[in-house]
Amino acid sequence: MNREEARTLLPAYLDGELDPAKSVELEAHLAADPVSRAACGRLRSLSNAIRDKADYHAAPATLGERLLDALPAAAERAPRLPARRNWPLAAAALASTAALAVALTLATVHPRDDERLEQEALSSYVRATLSTRLADVASSDQHTVKPWLSAHLPYSPPVVDPSAQGFTLAGARLDYVGGRAVAALVYQRRQHRIDVFVWPEQEDSNLRASVRDGFNIERFARGGMRYWIVSDLNRNELDDLARLLGAQH
Amino acid sequence: MLPHLDAAYNLARWLTRNDHDAEDVVQEAVLRACRFADGLRGDPRPWLLAIVRNACFTWLEANRPAELALGLDERIGEIPAPEAEGPEASATRNLERRVLNEAIAALPPQFREVLVLRELEDLSYRDIARIAGAPIGTVMSRLSRARRLLAESLRVIVTASEPGVSR
Repeated sequence: MNREEARTLLPAYLDGELDPAKSVELEAHLAADPVSRAACGRLRSLSNAIRDKADYHAAPATLGERLLDALPAAAERAPRLPARRNWPLAAAALASTAALAVALTLATVHPRDDERLEQEALSSYVRATLSTRLADVASSDQHTVKPWLSAHLPYSPPVVDPSAQGFTLAGARLDYVGGRAVAALVYQRRQHRIDVFVWPEQEDSNLRASVRDGFNIERFARGGMRYWIVSDLNRNELDDLARLLGAQH
Repeated sequence: MLPHLDAAYNLARWLTRNDHDAEDVVQEAVLRACRFADGLRGDPRPWLLAIVRNACFTWLEANRPAELALGLDERIGEIPAPEAEGPEASATRNLERRVLNEAIAALPPQFREVLVLRELEDLSYRDIARIAGAPIGTVMSRLSRARRLLAESLRVIVTASEPGVSR
């Protein structure tokens, strides 16, 4: 390697962009040639000076606050993210600026968690179907189910009984979803079972639907609780239940 | 808590060179990002910075067209004669923050941008190319020229401040 080639490769080398084979060649040349070595030193020291002394302007707090105010309105105008395609990635990008995460109703949940939660909720639903353990407390009386759940969990999930609208409360069980103990309320509509996983959540979020392995899944957050609804029941009727539980579009 | 918002603001602040416009540009860019979230592929940081960068250059076209034109001059930052080498290592070590920041701010925007993305954001050539909307070869060339320009302007400052230097 001659001095001229070395000179052209130095910046890429210092930026860690030179392939290993060429790097080795260049290093051998630098070891042998003091002029190239000096040029390397100058480049490196300039880079160090910039990294040490150039201003890094962090965003002012007011900017973050203004974005938090403006984003919900912007999100309303945004095209709805399709249920499956690219949902985790797109959400991840915007959730990386937390203000956008709020606007996309991901709240404090990291978007990759949504994918995981969906999986876990569905697994719980299917496992319950396969085993005989659909409910720990099998009762259609909300005044039995609710206190049982409060006694077994560090929170008290709301238990509604929309039997007038055609959804029967069948009971509830404890389950483990998203790394925490949660309540799984079990409802029945005709021959379909619906599991509603409920746990505490600060930020409200609008109703979102998805499909996984042929099952319908809906999620929302309201009144201090997050709800994940899983069933083989059709989407329209599942929407009905979600609204009865308090969901808003 | 908002790592990408800082990166976005830092780039905008370096390109617009003042707080007020940087904030406006970032706000507009972030709202735009929200609308186009569906187009995201892969790493969110370069994706967001590309949107911010474009918003900055739109702003520059409207408000600082002369600055932009400077960066398009082919002759700027070309390889100097071997005699005109950059400052000695010790000189850059003793450099004042203010002097360095002013020298970077004086670079044409196209060169300032790649320097900020490389040295302050530690982005790869590939990511910088993506953000700047240019081929990697162009990025490498601009980076070289940016460094040469910077070294040259600092050398001038450094040698001018040395006592006993006759010009």
